[in-house]
Amino acid sequence: MTTFTAFEPEVLDGFRDAVGREHVIESPLEVFGYSYDASFLPLDRNTMPQAVVRPRTTAEISRVMALAHQRRIPITPRGAASGRTGGSVPLQGGIVLSLDRMTSILELDTANMMVSAEPGVRTVDLHDHCARHGLFFPPDPGSWKFSTLGGNVAENAGGMRAVKYGVTRDYVMGLEVVLADGSILETGGKAVKNVTGYDLTGLFVGSEGTLGIVSRALFRLRPLPKARGVLRVVFRTMDEACAAVQEMLLDGVTPSAAEIMDATCLEAVARARNTPVEEEAGACLILEIDGDGAEALEAQSRRIEAITGRAGCIAFRSAASREETEAIWAERRGLSSAVAAMAPNRLGEDISVPRSAFPEVVRRINAISTSSRLRIPVFGHAGDGNLHPSVLCDLADPDQAARAHQAVDGIFQAALDLGGTLSGEHGIGITKRPYFANAVGPVSLETHRAVKRALDPLGLLNPGKIW
Amino acid sequence: MVTAATKAGQGPFAAARGKVLGCDRCGTCLPVCPLFQVQDVERASARGKNALVRGLAEGLIPPDREAQEALEFCLLCRACTDACPGKVPTEEAMLQVRQALADTLGSTPLRSRWIGRVLRRRRMVALGAATLAGLRAVGLHRLLPSQLVPRETSRQAYLAEHAGPALLGAPGPRPEPALHPGAKVAYFQGCGMKLLFPDASRSTQRILAQLSPFQQPDHPCCGLPHLAHGQREAFLELARENIRAFEAADLVVTDCASCGGTLKHLASWFADDPVWEHRAARFSTKVMDLTEYLAAAGYRPQALPGATFTYHDPCHLARGQGIRRQPRQLLEQAGRLIELAEKERCCGGSGSFHLEHPRAAEAILRRKQEDIQGTGAQVVVTACPGCLIQLTRAAEQSGGAFQAMHISQVI
Ligand SMILES: Cc1cc2nc3c(=O)[nH]c(=O)nc-3n(C[C@H](O)[C@H](O)[C@H](O)COP(=O)(O)OP(=O)(O)OC[C@H]3O[C@@H](n4cnc5c(N)ncnc54)[C@H](O)[C@@H]3O)c2cc1C
Ligand code: SF4
Ligand code: SF4
Repeated sequence: MTTFTAFEPEVLDGFRDAVGREHVIESPLEVFGYSYDASFLPLDRNTMPQAVVRPRTTAEISRVMALAHQRRIPITPRGAASGRTGGSVPLQGGIVLSLDRMTSILELDTANMMVSAEPGVRTVDLHDHCARHGLFFPPDPGSWKFSTLGGNVAENAGGMRAVKYGVTRDYVMGLEVVLADGSILETGGKAVKNVTGYDLTGLFVGSEGTLGIVSRALFRLRPLPKARGVLRVVFRTMDEACAAVQEMLLDGVTPSAAEIMDATCLEAVARARNTPVEEEAGACLILEIDGDGAEALEAQSRRIEAITGRAGCIAFRSAASREETEAIWAERRGLSSAVAAMAPNRLGEDISVPRSAFPEVVRRINAISTSSRLRIPVFGHAGDGNLHPSVLCDLADPDQAARAHQAVDGIFQAALDLGGTLSGEHGIGITKRPYFANAVGPVSLETHRAVKRALDPLGLLNPGKIW
Repeated sequence: MVTAATKAGQGPFAAARGKVLGCDRCGTCLPVCPLFQVQDVERASARGKNALVRGLAEGLIPPDREAQEALEFCLLCRACTDACPGKVPTEEAMLQVRQALADTLGSTPLRSRWIGRVLRRRRMVALGAATLAGLRAVGLHRLLPSQLVPRETSRQAYLAEHAGPALLGAPGPRPEPALHPGAKVAYFQGCGMKLLFPDASRSTQRILAQLSPFQQPDHPCCGLPHLAHGQREAFLELARENIRAFEAADLVVTDCASCGGTLKHLASWFADDPVWEHRAARFSTKVMDLTEYLAAAGYRPQALPGATFTYHDPCHLARGQGIRRQPRQLLEQAGRLIELAEKERCCGGSGSFHLEHPRAAEAILRRKQEDIQGTGAQVVVTACPGCLIQLTRAAEQSGGAFQAMHISQVI
C-alpha cells in the first residue's frame, strides 16, 4: 500500500516487545487513520506511516526511541491530530508515535498550585480536574475538548483567554522529554525562580515534535475565578472596535477574552441563524470578564461600557442570565462553520500582528479581498493581535483557486510587513513551511538548524517539518 | 488530468464521499463517539470512518473485507453529527458506503446476511415469534445464547412488584379522546417488538385501545437492518410494501424508535423515483412514535406511587426524531423520573451490532450500567427494542439492582 516497504519482522517485534503486541498497528487500513490531521492537506498514500506505536509509559517511549535510533527509523509524534498545519502527518514513513494512551494526571500539588500530567491527557480533562480543586488551568485552544497536552506544549497552543492569561508557554514549569536516542531529559521544576543553565523547558515548547518527545509536563495554575460575565458590543467600524480594546488594556480593565468579528462575519452568522443583519454594524466584540464576584463584574462592566461608549459603540449588551451568556457564546462558537457555509471552500489562516497593527492589517486584508475579488471575512482575538482571515472560494474553479492562493500569500506578506508572524496559534508544520525561511531570516534559520542538529543529529524526529 | 479527486467524483463511492466532503477532520467528534470511547483507535472514530470513505473513493484504500468490517463498526447513533460543527452526516455516509461495498464485493458481511433474510419474510418473523414464545413459556429460551434472546420483564410482574395499598386507590384519570376524533390509527409492530418483547407490544396495544379503536394491518419489517447492511433493493421493496399496507390509515403509531426513525425518513431513499418519493413523503407524515402520539392525544398514565424510573434516550428517538420531552412527561406522570448521566449516549444496541461486535458492545454497556445504577432508580425505561435488548442484559448483569422495561409497560 504505502510507497515505503514494510518493516523487517525483527523491527516490528522490537516495537511489540517495547509497548505490547496489541499496541503496534500495522494493517494498511488502520495506519491510514494516522496519515492526516486537521489541516487542509489532502489525503495521500505517501503520508501513511509504516506502523503506529502506542506507548503507555516513559520507559516504553525510551525503548521505542532507542530502537528507532538504532535502525534509523523516522518518528512522528502524535496527540489527537487536531493540528491545523500537518504537524503530526508523517512525511517519510517510519512510525507514528501516538501518545494518546498516556492519559494520567499524575499529581495535583495544591500548595504550590501546580499539576503534572502525561502528554495524552485531553486539555479539558486537566482543566476540569484542577477546577474541582478550585484551581485554574487557563490555556484554552478552541480544540480543548479533544486536543492533548502534548500537542498543546508542542504547538504552544493558546486560545481566547490569552489576552489576560497568556498561552501554554506561560504555564509550563518543567518537562520530561525523551530525546532522539532514547535518553530521558528532565527540565525545570517546581521552583518558581530558576536560573540554572539554559531555559531548556522553553526550547521544547512550540518545537512541534522535532526535538524530542514530551512524556510528562508540569504546569503552574491560578486560582479559579469565582465569577464570569459576557458582554456584546457593536461598532460601526473595525477601527473603533480595536481602539476600544486598546483603551481597555491601557486602562487596566483586561477582559479575559476579547473576540472580534467584522461585518462579513456578522452577515455569515445572521445568514446561518436566519436573523436580520444589524443595521450599520461593521464590527462586533464579544468580551468575557471574570473576577471575585458579582460586584467586581458589575464594576468592570461599567468601566467597559464607558470606554466602548467613548469609542463610538452603537449597541452594548451585558448578559443578564445564563441563557443569554450561552446565546452570546453560541454566536462566537458557530462563527467558524457559519463562515465556512458561505462558500464551497475556505482557506482559513492564522496570523498574528502587534496589537497596535490590528486595524491596519484588517485594512490590508480588505484591500486584498477587493483585488482578488474574493470575500475574506476576518475574526480573531483582538486583545492579542491574533486573527483568522478566511479566504472564501471555490477551489474547483482553477481561476478562483489561483486567486485564493495569491490572496493567502498577500495576507502573510501583510502580516510580516507589519512586524507580525505567520502563525499565532497553529504552528508551521507542513502547510506554512514554504514561508518560514523568509519570515525568520537567515540567522534565525541557521540557529534553528543548529539546535536541531545538536538534539537530533540523524534527523529522525518529525522530519520535513517547519523548514 | 485525471486526479484522484475527479476519479472519486464518479466511482461507486461517489455518493458516500459526497456526504463526507464537509469533514475537515477537525476531531470535534472524537470524544463523543461511543465506539471510540471503548476502542480508541482512529479507525473506530467518526473522523476515521469518514476518512476511510474518502480513502476508498480516492483509491487509497482497497474495497475489501477489512474495509467493510471497519465501516460496519458504527452504531449509526449520530452523536458525532450532533457535535460536528459542519453537521457532517456520518451515519448517512455509512449507509451509502456499506451499500457501495456490498455492490462492489457482491455481498454483505456473513453475520448480517441471515438477519436480512429472516426479517424480509413476514412468515419467518411470525414463526420466530411463535417459537420464542413457545420456548419462553417453558423457560427454554434461557438455553439460547443470552445475546440472542433477552429475558423480558413483563408488565404483570412489574405491577405485582408495585402492588400495594396505593394501587387500590382511585383509578388513573380517564384518557382524553384521540388526536383528531375519527382519525384512523394503525399500529406498526416492528420485528423487534414482535419477536423479542411481546409483552411490551401487548402493553402498547392495550394503551392504544384505550384511546381509540386501532388497526393492525399485516406488514413487513421497516427495512432498517437491510439499509444498515447494504441491502438497499430489499429495503426499497419493504418500504413500498409498508406504504401500501398503511394506505388506509391516517396515523401510523410505532413503539420502536428505530422503525419510527426509518419510516419518517423514507422519501430521501426514493430520490430517483418521483412517484414513490411522493408516496413515501406522504406516508412519512403519518408516522408517530408512541410517546409522541400519547402526549399529543393527552393520554395520562396511571401513577404508581413509589415507582422510580430513569430514562435512556434511544438514538433514533432523541437525535433521530427530536423526541425527548414526551417520554419524560409520561414517566413523570407515572412515577418519579431520575435523569441518567449522559442519557443520550448510545447503549451499543444498534440492530445486530451487539452480535457482530460483542466486545465493544459489552464495554459500552458496562458504562451504561454504571450510569443507571448511579441513579438508584428501580427501572430503566426506554422506547426502542434495540436498546431494550442491551438494557435487559445490563439489568441481568446488575444482579437485580434494576429492571429494564419498555415505556409502554410502565405507563
Ligand atoms: C477546531 C479547532 C480549533 C483549534 N483552535 C485552536 C486554538 O484556538 N488555539 C491553538 O493554539 N490551536 C488551535 N487548534 C490547533 C490544535 O488543536 C492545537 O495545535 C493542539 O495543540 C494540537 O493538539 P493535538 O493533541 O491534536 O496534537 P497533534 O495535532 O497530534 O500534534 C501537533 C504537533 O505536536 C506534536 N506532538 C504531539 N504530541 C507530542 C508529544 N507528546 N511530544 C512531542 N511532540 C508532540 C506533533 O508531532 C505535531 O507536530 C485548533 C484545531 C481545531 C481542529
Ligand atoms: S465529522 Fe465533523 S466533527 Fe468529526 S472530524 Fe469531521 S468535521 Fe470534525
Ligand atoms: S454514528 Fe455513533 S457510532 Fe457511528 S461514528 Fe457517529 S458517534 Fe460513532
